Amino acid sequence: MTEEPTRRLAPRARLVWRMSQGLGWGVAVVAGLIAGAQLDGALAVLVRVLPVVGLVAGVTLVPELRWRRWRWDVRPEAIDIRHGTLTVRRTLVPMLRVQHVDTTRDIVEQSLDLATVVVHTAAGSHRIPLLTVADAAEVRDRIADLARTADEP
Amino acid sequence: MSPERRRLHPAAIAVYALAALREAALPLVALFVLRGFDDPGALERGLLYAAAGTAIAAVLGFLRWRTTEWWVTEDAIHHRRGLVAIKETDVPLTRVQALDLEQGPVQRLFGVQSVHVQTGGGGARGEIVLEALDAREIAELQALLAGRQVEEAPVAGVRRRLGERELLLTALTAGQLGVILPVLAGAGQIVSQLLEDEGFAVLGLVPDSPLEIALVVAGLVVAAWLLSMAGTVVAFAGFTVTREASRLRVRRGLFARREATVPVGRVRAVVVVEGVLRRPLGLAALRIEVIGHAEEPAAARTLFPLLRRDEVRDFLVELLPEFDDALDGLEPLPARAAARYALWPVAGALAVAGAAFFTPVGPWALLLVPAAAAYGLARHRAAGWRLRDGRLAVRSLMVARRTVLAPARHRESHALVQTVLQRRASLADVEVAFGKQTAARVHHLEAATARTLFERLAT
Repeated sequence: MTEEPTRRLAPRARLVWRMSQGLGWGVAVVAGLIAGAQLDGALAVLVRVLPVVGLVAGVTLVPELRWRRWRWDVRPEAIDIRHGTLTVRRTLVPMLRVQHVDTTRDIVEQSLDLATVVVHTAAGSHRIPLLTVADAAEVRDRIADLARTADEP
Repeated sequence: MSPERRRLHPAAIAVYALAALREAALPLVALFVLRGFDDPGALERGLLYAAAGTAIAAVLGFLRWRTTEWWVTEDAIHHRRGLVAIKETDVPLTRVQALDLEQGPVQRLFGVQSVHVQTGGGGARGEIVLEALDAREIAELQALLAGRQVEEAPVAGVRRRLGERELLLTALTAGQLGVILPVLAGAGQIVSQLLEDEGFAVLGLVPDSPLEIALVVAGLVVAAWLLSMAGTVVAFAGFTVTREASRLRVRRGLFARREATVPVGRVRAVVVVEGVLRRPLGLAALRIEVIGHAEEPAAARTLFPLLRRDEVRDFLVELLPEFDDALDGLEPLPARAAARYALWPVAGALAVAGAAFFTPVGPWALLLVPAAAAYGLARHRAAGWRLRDGRLAVRSLMVARRTVLAPARHRESHALVQTVLQRRASLADVEVAFGKQTAARVHHLEAATARTLFERLAT
């Protein structure tokens, strides 16, 4: 039985998700208000209220749940990732198959001192997002080391 | 081989000129069409343009030939080309994995071949492409590399060739939707344009009765089918696959003869594809997933275009024993998963039927619902998996029925997936990725079984 992964993303990841959820649902709220003005009856209420419910849930509940469910680990033989709230996906990437590993930082991540680790294999890439910069650098170097030794036998 | 710089065979001038002409042809034709045919001097002007274009292309071809050089030293093949921007490529002999040969119509005319120098990193085109070399030069190059490479003793290769009757059958049963649909869409646009053109209306060419429209559609389908057949024949004529020690050599092509070398070590998975038209006849095609070849067209990923399903095992034992496994005797999915397979197609059909209710089609659209249910149940029935002696076999159905055969240790990653709905029914998916084009997915396994399979794959 492979043990479940235990490491988490940076606590500030919740802030990033809160912002992106807030932005997305905010647009939906405005769109709902505009559409609601054209309609009447129960539909108009629904179109106005639903995005607001989404906004509240997206800013409070979703980031918290998502952060709690996001677990990862780097073991000598494999990279282990488990994430997802509604759909839970657990992925194992054998170290032998890692071609190279990057860290990337988009604008939001730069402003919050976070980074994403991207592991590339011949079949595609796997991401561990929103780690602290120190964590990400450590993980990247460790994976690079392990991938190198895994190739040697 | 002496280290002096060489030029390609002069046939390369024709190859380059033709390439230049081909690049220029489309804009020229477009220009011609835009100017219109009604103009009295149009034909003369068009011929003039064509003559000038050919002359320019010939000069360009000559210049390109004059400025392309290649030579071989102790330890590398060198290639230098370009008039203004000079590009030099050196490939160390030790890194050369194969010399792939290709013979297009022009090369065949002059009795030369183009040589693709393949290295590990490459895609379809080699690191260096020498457009025209004669047989003597190719033999010299091959002899030189044979001395350098870690070459096993040339085993008497096992060969398998696609016969002419098989080729015809391949073409007849190809009928790929992927080829037919874009053609139909394109034809539809042309037709709708013609319909707007009053000239055709005057000629009485516009279909105005349902029968005529049906005839036009049938004609288009037949035309698309013929086109797909022609494409298949061009791609697969003379298909031959040979196993030589640790590599596969695949030859194919009618006008452009291609020869590709695939190191067996880079093959990740074999996929047995039973197309809609082939499955009732007990026929299948074999594809391979090769690392670094994902961007190539489907034809280039074909291990063999057509086999009887019951021959597949013997074929693999002979040519690719590393992937030999039985196609049948797979574990079925739990019976209660059937409803899950039917769920989404039926939901989709209901949505479509709901929308169509307000159109002239009306309640007839509800007929989609049983069809969708039947499709979901067919997918459930077709799906199956097996992991035995480290070899994974996974069968699934979308349109064609596909069976992925691969040693589990070839996987690039694997995943256990469970949605909220599956959690309540204690079902789960397992996905195993073998390459960019090949993933083996088993949907709706018993959750405990999925868990065990996931763990077994991890070890």
